[in-house]
Amino acid sequence: MIKKIKASRSEKVILIFILFLGIFSFSSFFLIKDKCLFVKNYDPQKITFDNPENIAVLNISCGNVIIELYPDVSPVAVKRFKTLVDSKAYDDVAFHRVIKNTLVQAGDLEFGKKNNLDYGKIGTGKSGLGTINSEINSPFNFNRGSVGLARTQKYNTEDSQFFIILKDEPLYETEYTPIGKVIYGIEALEKIKYLDKSQYVLRPDFINSLRMLVN
Amino acid sequence: MSLIRLIILSLFFFTQVQANTIYNLIKIPNLEIYEINTPNKLRYLYAKEPFTIGVNNNINCYNSEKNILDKKYQIIKNNLDKYSQEFLKKINLKYIVLCEDLSISKINTAGIPDNVMKTLILDIKFKENYFERVIHHEVFHIINDSYKKLFDEKTWSTFNIEEFKYAKCSTCTDKLGLDTFTNTEGFFSEYSKSTASEDMAEVFSHLMIGINLKNIDPILEKKIQFIKINLLKIDQNFIL
Repeated sequence: MIKKIKASRSEKVILIFILFLGIFSFSSFFLIKDKCLFVKNYDPQKITFDNPENIAVLNISCGNVIIELYPDVSPVAVKRFKTLVDSKAYDDVAFHRVIKNTLVQAGDLEFGKKNNLDYGKIGTGKSGLGTINSEINSPFNFNRGSVGLARTQKYNTEDSQFFIILKDEPLYETEYTPIGKVIYGIEALEKIKYLDKSQYVLRPDFINSLRMLVN
Repeated sequence: MSLIRLIILSLFFFTQVQANTIYNLIKIPNLEIYEINTPNKLRYLYAKEPFTIGVNNNINCYNSEKNILDKKYQIIKNNLDKYSQEFLKKINLKYIVLCEDLSISKINTAGIPDNVMKTLILDIKFKENYFERVIHHEVFHIINDSYKKLFDEKTWSTFNIEEFKYAKCSTCTDKLGLDTFTNTEGFFSEYSKSTASEDMAEVFSHLMIGINLKNIDPILEKKIQFIKINLLKIDQNFIL
């Protein structure tokens, strides 16, 4: 006859602790995998904007990034950006250059498209619309969330590539053409894939879509 | 041996890519911002650690003690404040790098101008007697490099007496004295006699620090007018 042994109080406590630990480990495994877990997704339709015609909505894997464009500061650059947004040119384009907590860069329409990614040339591609002149004379505070057009080492080589800075960069003033600022959703940009040892990203994240709020 | 390997390997694996904005902009490492809120928008940077740049790493400069940096910054800023933002933009000068014991190919130098990178590196420990003057001297090289056609060396050379010949380069001669001549005879200093471009820079720098122009000889007078006229072609508001 098997004698039934009753668990002591301490044994019960240990069992409950192990059960909790198991549940926590199991759920953490799935929660940690979701990089967007604590990122708020903003719905632009639920926000009131002073200048809705200058609002661009960048949709990425962790949600919407809402950008206010400044045509008064950089009219030519903003016009170029809007032209490309309206033609949906930025859809499925890679964030090919990402520096952790510093900067994300995208917009290589030639070598950065999801279905035509060229790691050897990414960052050098063109839009086909030609380059535009730098607009760097207006005062502009390049603080966290500022959006600018990328260029080569020379001025007046801006085209389609743009960057968004994730920290203040005062030296960018009069160096780069500003086009706007992120007003909601910058946290989503911080979740974009980066590499520890290179600014250029292998198997990068992509822009889902980039649209003007008002067409 | 295996421990060293392990350390090197761990450095390789754990070293993160750093975003160095200053390096990305002007291709000089180890710099930090000293002051960027200036009236003419010049950006003053300083060497936090020694740096090496240039072809075959032939340009070297070292970091300074803070008290020296603070003292020399005031002198440099007072002199560079004489240039307006508009003028600086026209000559392509935006960044001033402050460091000490600046040398190029192991030859000490007061400054290294680079109008392409919009940068002037200044040795803040350069000889006290000439320190303020050489700041303007180096600024002239930026001007000259940006407007080569205006400051034509052949035209300049015609101002000198026929027998006079400049050296082929500023380091190809032992004419390096920077003392201002009391009897000018066409040149402000011995260094003026090295090359046409150094001669122009010496004229310009003497004018910028406000040299007494009472006993100027006819050759030097022509040179002064040449500099003044061409500066006004760059910026009508430039006051010399």
